[in-house]
Amino acid sequence: MATISADERGALRDSVRRLLADHSAEADVRRAMETEAGYDAELWRRLAEMGLAGLVIEEDFGGAGAGPLELELVMEEAGAALLCSPLLASGVLAAELLRALGDEEAKTRLLPGIAAGTAIATVALTGDAGTWTPEGVAVTAAGGPGDWRLEGVASYVMHGQNADVLLVLANASDGLGVFEVDPAAAGVAIAALPTFDHTLRLARISFEGAPASKLKAAGPVWDAVQQALNLALVGLSGEQAGGARRVLDFTVDYAKARIQFGRAIGSFQAIKHMASDLLLESESAISAARNAARALAEDAPDAEAAISLAAFACAEAFSLTTATSIQMHGGIAFTWAHPAHLYLRRARADAQLFGPPAYYRERYIQQLGG
Amino acid sequence: MDDAAPLAPASDDQIRDEVAGWLKANWDPSVLTSAQAGRGEAYRAWIAKVVEARWAAPRWPVEWFGRGLSNEQARIVEREFARVGAPGTGQDRTQLYANTLLAKGTEALKAKLIGPILRGEIVMCLLYSEPGAGSDLAGVRTRAELDGDHYVVNGQKVWTSTAATADYGMLIARTNWDVPKHQGLSFFFLPMKQPGVEVRPLRQITDESHFNEVFLTDAIVPAENLLGELGQGWSVLQTALAYERSVMGEGARGPRSGVAEAAGEEPLIALAREAGVLADPMLRQDIARVIAYKKLNALNTARAKADLAQGTSSPVMSLGKLAMSRILHEEARLRTAILGAASLLEGPDHPRAEDANFLTLNAYFTSIGGGTDQIQRNIIGERVLGLPKEPEVDRDVPFREVRGG
Ligand SMILES: Cc1cc2nc3c(=O)[nH]c(=O)nc-3n(C[C@H](O)[C@H](O)[C@H](O)COP(=O)(O)OP(=O)(O)OC[C@H]3O[C@@H](n4cnc5c(N)ncnc54)[C@H](O)[C@@H]3O)c2cc1C
Repeated sequence: MATISADERGALRDSVRRLLADHSAEADVRRAMETEAGYDAELWRRLAEMGLAGLVIEEDFGGAGAGPLELELVMEEAGAALLCSPLLASGVLAAELLRALGDEEAKTRLLPGIAAGTAIATVALTGDAGTWTPEGVAVTAAGGPGDWRLEGVASYVMHGQNADVLLVLANASDGLGVFEVDPAAAGVAIAALPTFDHTLRLARISFEGAPASKLKAAGPVWDAVQQALNLALVGLSGEQAGGARRVLDFTVDYAKARIQFGRAIGSFQAIKHMASDLLLESESAISAARNAARALAEDAPDAEAAISLAAFACAEAFSLTTATSIQMHGGIAFTWAHPAHLYLRRARADAQLFGPPAYYRERYIQQLGG
Repeated sequence: MDDAAPLAPASDDQIRDEVAGWLKANWDPSVLTSAQAGRGEAYRAWIAKVVEARWAAPRWPVEWFGRGLSNEQARIVEREFARVGAPGTGQDRTQLYANTLLAKGTEALKAKLIGPILRGEIVMCLLYSEPGAGSDLAGVRTRAELDGDHYVVNGQKVWTSTAATADYGMLIARTNWDVPKHQGLSFFFLPMKQPGVEVRPLRQITDESHFNEVFLTDAIVPAENLLGELGQGWSVLQTALAYERSVMGEGARGPRSGVAEAAGEEPLIALAREAGVLADPMLRQDIARVIAYKKLNALNTARAKADLAQGTSSPVMSLGKLAMSRILHEEARLRTAILGAASLLEGPDHPRAEDANFLTLNAYFTSIGGGTDQIQRNIIGERVLGLPKEPEVDRDVPFREVRGG
């Protein structure tokens, strides 16, 4: 991984923030969320040009060679701007899974397209149960080298309907494997799922004798999946922390401007105390997300626990902040035209995307030896 | 009303027998199960029948569709209706428009509208909130000016639920700008179907459009549609708000999916069973907690009802809306936790998610609408507990000089 200085990181944050201010403003988000693909292809191209599609992909494969710290930082900005993009699905989860598996041929063939943003990859992991564990996998693979066939269902697949490359977890007679599937192949049926968070794209994919090729795995397959999930969780935590902070900011601005009873509503203790509580929540989320990123970047012994902590702390901070924000605004935030509900929807989705807070809290106590 | 002869006083047993006998002879449960239940002809006809038989508002005086029953006896009527599942009674507790009109309306307006309101023949709305006056309702800037035998109304209202179909709106407007804000207000029944009233629907976060913006431009309201005295609008409003809040404390719109829960089982338990997570000890604790919130609120409400004469408000009653707000928000969180990943979805193919999503959003109807939780807490602190009020900077200045929002 390339070493990136603090200055470079600051510059990265600034340029992402500028780009998103220009191209992922609220009106842009609303436009993108109404499209079938759910993201603006032109903005995605710009993000790719900046190196963000391949941010955490090694330079040898056309990526920027950055790590968890930079990812977390970029995702804070993405969360703040409610960015609609396949970054987490393709450039993070799928790319990191390929790296973790270590199938050199597949990396050479797939990563450059992913890094350039020209190919969208995604990971089909869980079935209808929606649990992000080996037990959640509901696809089976039969046959053998040169003639693998998949059966079963994968659901909650991020950007499944937009994907050029599907990496599918499936149980074969010799255990869990990751299979590459052409979304256009016979026996693959991809149905877009209607999502409560309109800025998100999920699909349910059924496989009926779908042809697949098995990716080589240098180590245990679930370890590789977990490695990819860990990085994705760091990204997601950043998104949640950044989202929470942005919501708090616009809510506090409103509390300073809105006059009732001849004074700004922020002068009422009820509002002031809610805002203070949310500051604690969102600052804690930022700390948790950055701590998880650091721990993962350093490959620290406590990295897994730091990621679990961030997973539930950030999910709950974002959920609480968005929910409280609507209350603090009053009637205006009950309208579709106000952005608060867009963040509420995103927060509620993010809190389930790779498993709910309760799951990560349990994982956390286990990682602490409990 | 045509037949205003006083009814002979009856014992509790006589009342019980009479209402039970009447329900046996008249109640047809298919009114509720028919395709258009709640809105349709059969439902309307049933309510009209209840009104005609004087069961709709039995606490009310005989001149006004009632029987002059005591609170205890009226509760016997309500229990008999509840026993067979028949709607239509208890309007003397819950019908905020009719109660406000009965308490404060002119004879002419009462004669014209009380019957149709009880029978559900006319749709009403609340023209209170404005862009600059929500929690601070006494700060409204819509003006009403007397011109001969009517008032001319100009201004803008917002968040007006059901305005698009309403026949009348209960309007709070300023009639005097030279006195402090609470003293210059008056309360009217404004006819909605007139050229001076323009209703623009607003899209809600639930993706529905129940509430609206209402633009009033030289809208006309007959002088007889004034409730209470000129300049006494704030006190009329307090009567109306008390009814509204007590109703909001008793219930809220349920799931939107229309998918029935397993009969007889607590809906949250049924949902957890269906989702296969009923054995999860953490969820079990949460389910018990939320069901307990609901049960305790129902008990509180029942106690308040039993204690009190109609129209008065009790400490327990003012807690109801706040309690309901917590119930709805907590239930939404719990339903989401029970569903897990399935809560990511929406739409008709995912009715359980649809229910959780809708509740997540619509819970704000109760925690913001009708006065926010924060305002409700202030009211409880000040009026129930007698804690000192916060100083109000604009309370005693002529409204003209008050800073707008
Ligand atoms: C679904 C829905 C339906 C509605 N239907 C109607 C209707 O039919 N007719 C109608 O007239 N109105 C209706 N309303 C409006 C509702 O009554 C107002 O939204 C509500 O009273 C709050 O006013 P506001 O929106 O202006 O918020 P604001 O008054 O601006 O309040 C903003 C925030 O400041 C807080 N705040 C304000 N003052 C204080 C204080 N003194 N102390 C502590 N905190 C304070 C509030 O709690 C809130 O958190 C509806 C609202 C909703 C959401």
